[in-house]
Amino acid sequence: MGNVQILLRQHVGAPCAAIVQAGDEVKKGTKIATPTGLGANIFSSVYGVVEEVLEDRIVIRPDEEQKEEFVPIEVEDENDKLALVKEAGIVGMGGAGFPTGVKIGTDLKGGYVLVNAAECEPGLRHNIMQLEEKTDITIRGLKYCMEISNASKGIIAIKKKNEKAVQILRDAIKDDDSLTIHLLPDIYPMGEERAVVRECLDKLLDPTQLPSAADAVVINCETLLRIAEAIEEKKPCYSKNMTVIGKLNGGNEPHVYMDIPVGTSVGDMIERAGGIEEPYGEIIMGGPFTGKSTTLDAPVTKTTGGIIVTIEFPDLHGAPVGLLVCACGGSEDRMREICEKMNGKVVSVARCKQAVEPKPGAALKCENPGNCPGQAQKCLQFKKDGAEYIIIGNCSDCSNTVMGSAPKMKLKTFHQTDHVMRTIGHSLYRRLTVSKQVDQLPNGK
Amino acid sequence: MSITAETAKAHAHDPAVLCCRAEAGITIEAANLEDPAIFDDLVDSGLLNLDGALTIEEVLGAKLTKTCDSLCPLTADVVEGAKAPSKPAAPEAAEEEAAPAPAAAPVAAAAPAAGGVLKIHIGEGKDIDLEIPVGALGGGSAAAAEVPAGAAAAVAAAPAAEQEAKLIRSLTRKHFNITEVKRGPETKIEGTTLYIREGIEKECIDSQKLVYDLKIDIITPADYHTYSETIMDVQPIATKEGEDELGSGVTRVLDGVVMMVTGTDANGVQIGEFGSSEGFLDENIMWGRPGAPEKGEIFIKTQVTVKEGTNMERPGPLAAHTASDIITQEIRECLKKLDESLVTDTETFDQYRRPGKKKVVIVKEIMGQGAMHDNLILPVEPVGILGGKPNVDLGNVPVAVSPLEVLDGCIHALTCIGPASKEMSRHYWREPLVLEALHDEEIDLCGVIFVGSPQINAEKFYVSKRVGQICEMLDVDGAFVTTEGFGNNHIDFASHHEQIGMRGIPVVGMSFCAVQGALVVGNKYMTHMVDNNKSESGIENEVLACNTLCPEDAVRAVQMLKNAMGGEDVKAAEKKWNPNVKSSNVEAIESVTGKGLNLVENEQSLPMSQKRKEKYD
Repeated sequence: MGNVQILLRQHVGAPCAAIVQAGDEVKKGTKIATPTGLGANIFSSVYGVVEEVLEDRIVIRPDEEQKEEFVPIEVEDENDKLALVKEAGIVGMGGAGFPTGVKIGTDLKGGYVLVNAAECEPGLRHNIMQLEEKTDITIRGLKYCMEISNASKGIIAIKKKNEKAVQILRDAIKDDDSLTIHLLPDIYPMGEERAVVRECLDKLLDPTQLPSAADAVVINCETLLRIAEAIEEKKPCYSKNMTVIGKLNGGNEPHVYMDIPVGTSVGDMIERAGGIEEPYGEIIMGGPFTGKSTTLDAPVTKTTGGIIVTIEFPDLHGAPVGLLVCACGGSEDRMREICEKMNGKVVSVARCKQAVEPKPGAALKCENPGNCPGQAQKCLQFKKDGAEYIIIGNCSDCSNTVMGSAPKMKLKTFHQTDHVMRTIGHSLYRRLTVSKQVDQLPNGK
Repeated sequence: MSITAETAKAHAHDPAVLCCRAEAGITIEAANLEDPAIFDDLVDSGLLNLDGALTIEEVLGAKLTKTCDSLCPLTADVVEGAKAPSKPAAPEAAEEEAAPAPAAAPVAAAAPAAGGVLKIHIGEGKDIDLEIPVGALGGGSAAAAEVPAGAAAAVAAAPAAEQEAKLIRSLTRKHFNITEVKRGPETKIEGTTLYIREGIEKECIDSQKLVYDLKIDIITPADYHTYSETIMDVQPIATKEGEDELGSGVTRVLDGVVMMVTGTDANGVQIGEFGSSEGFLDENIMWGRPGAPEKGEIFIKTQVTVKEGTNMERPGPLAAHTASDIITQEIRECLKKLDESLVTDTETFDQYRRPGKKKVVIVKEIMGQGAMHDNLILPVEPVGILGGKPNVDLGNVPVAVSPLEVLDGCIHALTCIGPASKEMSRHYWREPLVLEALHDEEIDLCGVIFVGSPQINAEKFYVSKRVGQICEMLDVDGAFVTTEGFGNNHIDFASHHEQIGMRGIPVVGMSFCAVQGALVVGNKYMTHMVDNNKSESGIENEVLACNTLCPEDAVRAVQMLKNAMGGEDVKAAEKKWNPNVKSSNVEAIESVTGKGLNLVENEQSLPMSQKRKEKYD
């Protein structure tokens, strides 16, 4: 195992400040950094010695031998569940990284805790596997969450296609009147926070609104697991579940890893999964839609859900390309990066009509995730600007709309996830063939 | 793209087409429908066939019975519960309002037809002659996009009782004629001969660090077929009398001669961005445009060489202008001392406010991107340098001036590029829209607002929001927004429309558009546009001032704003640029006002330059 690098910013908010120095010995669970503003405590994920404290990270040389036991968190009142969650440094583990102690600290006045178990990014498996294998502790996490935030209902939002997990959950909640299951269709994106609210509660929030506007919080299912661990075992948040998948020796099946120490390098994870089958295109940290390209020495964080090694990119030989940027996929920078890797030349950039900046400069959000506002005009723009190819970063519904006009205009269409989908043997995002409607379980049970 | 309920209402009678896949069983809403604005393009691209499509009003609220994909026209077989179509509503005839107006009759006759449909059904018959006066068809239903027919009179009826017009101030121009320009030992004017001091060039060059060289050429009509570097500016030679301030009192001006600034950088690169007007003068100047020389005038032409690489930076062109102004200033000093007996003509401009009439403001967008685009606002002397504030340094924020300040040369323009569509300093001195609005007794011109066009989008919106706020405070009934050039500046041009329009104030926009200058952005308030294009092919043809605002454009804009303020509908623009729109509107205006409009000539009247032959025509 190589050095562990623990980033000081693994969450929404300001970077944490290190409270250890080079040479300090640390254990699993030793607090090593604390927030300077909005943020969450950061703990060592290994036994070892602090080698360096850099501006953005703490580097720890791990001991040869790693014990299971850890330093438990300490709070004034051991029965104060919210204090335990805050002290444990838990953040939204679905990828957003919002400090959980802040999120569930609001009074929902009898409202809803919505469990985001959509696992919407194709290729990822660890959320569903957790629900199947760690069902009880996850449900207990949900109950703690409801207790802390004064919610009267818990709704688990999960795609209907995950039949085994759904059945296990049905059995687990059948005697609890406060819990139900909401089934989601198999389209992208269902895991967007406001999509979960809309699907479960039939309320469409503005991009600037938080779920609290619907008396709800949305919590990723792994976050529930970490909440239960903090409350029951006093365990700090220093490990992460993730899926490693892609062009790996041994095949393209997903490798799910539970409780990986935060700070482990991407390279170590890939080696564990068999190593890269050369040649390859790029390595993505996160999912195919919203992930970013990364390097072998980058460390995993509290929000790393996926590591994907892709096949090589097609070569467009400098052909003119239009980019359709959407809130559902990569940012314009990411789309440009993909275009460059495909050796295309960007001649036109359009943004989906529904993709808006909630604040100037903030990441795009979709006004109505998964429901297309029409794309024909964008295609006309690309055609006018001389594009021969287009690369789109759209959701299932919008991709379908693009396919309604682009091919007829002789625009050859790529989706930004194509190289991933081809790698993992998933169908490409083009035409939509499934319905957006699914039948719900009787009474959500 | 999907439309709002509001757009759906506006397009109630257009075909209903799904913008995206929609599943069987949904209730059709506006958000499911594609914007009819792009149908023409879609039909052209073979993406859409509208045969049998129901209209938007028919399908709203109905049930979709089959899952259909994007760009599927909604026909009766996939929709259940469609509403019965209503008749397209004819716009309300403006009879009542228009009645007291002298020219009411043609307006009343035209209005019902303007937005409606003229239906002529002939079952069976022979030798049927239909004679329909063009005026009665709302300006010819074929092409009258810009101004609906019957333009004039609609607004004439003032809501309040007739009130006395109030004289605010006057400006007098005293003209002195020059028939010959010579070099001599000192700068002086003797009779109608202007002498320019020999050796003044050195002082011009020494005054500016960035100016490496400056040559003076006296161009008489006999020399018009002379090569010149790109024309950066054309300026009147004028000065204030005594203590009079710019915009009032007396201004003295020389007739028969203009200053012309031309130049390159030390590497020989023309000082221009999108095209330049270098070449033989007689092939590259659109004579008689407000900003251009008149045929027959003598040019005092400076050819300035600025430091290499500064041709596209603000200090370079500014240095060229400042150096040239040393010559103009010396002439101004002589002009101040000239004997009154040499005055050949006196004209007076009166600025009236007309209480009770519709109050209008002119917003003129001027270039302020800062690379080489700038304008000095309110110099001490007409089109001078001293005292003028660069609008880039002012942050491009709106600056209010009186119409008479505009006509007295309050703008020293440093916009020398995209020559056909940019406004030279002389343009403001003879600004046709200001003149037209100033003299129109049916409207109350309250003033002119200059607003710079910054480089960065955030700043564009910053200044346009200020424009909107000022228009709100002014309580105007209508506004003109003009711009020069095309492209980048159209972003704020559009935003000015939005900011003014969202306050319920009708706006008429004026810009070169045609083919090459087609608007890059738009919004729902950009409903009234006048195109300043004159070129044959609708392009930036690099002929100086060819596509700038002329009297014929000002007349159309004033009539259009009157119509807009009177609540008349104006037809939507055609999909592609169609020069016939302008001619039919001009005809409509002529027939209603009874006054002929002499349209200006375009580049086709000039000798063909090699550049034009190769690049354009």
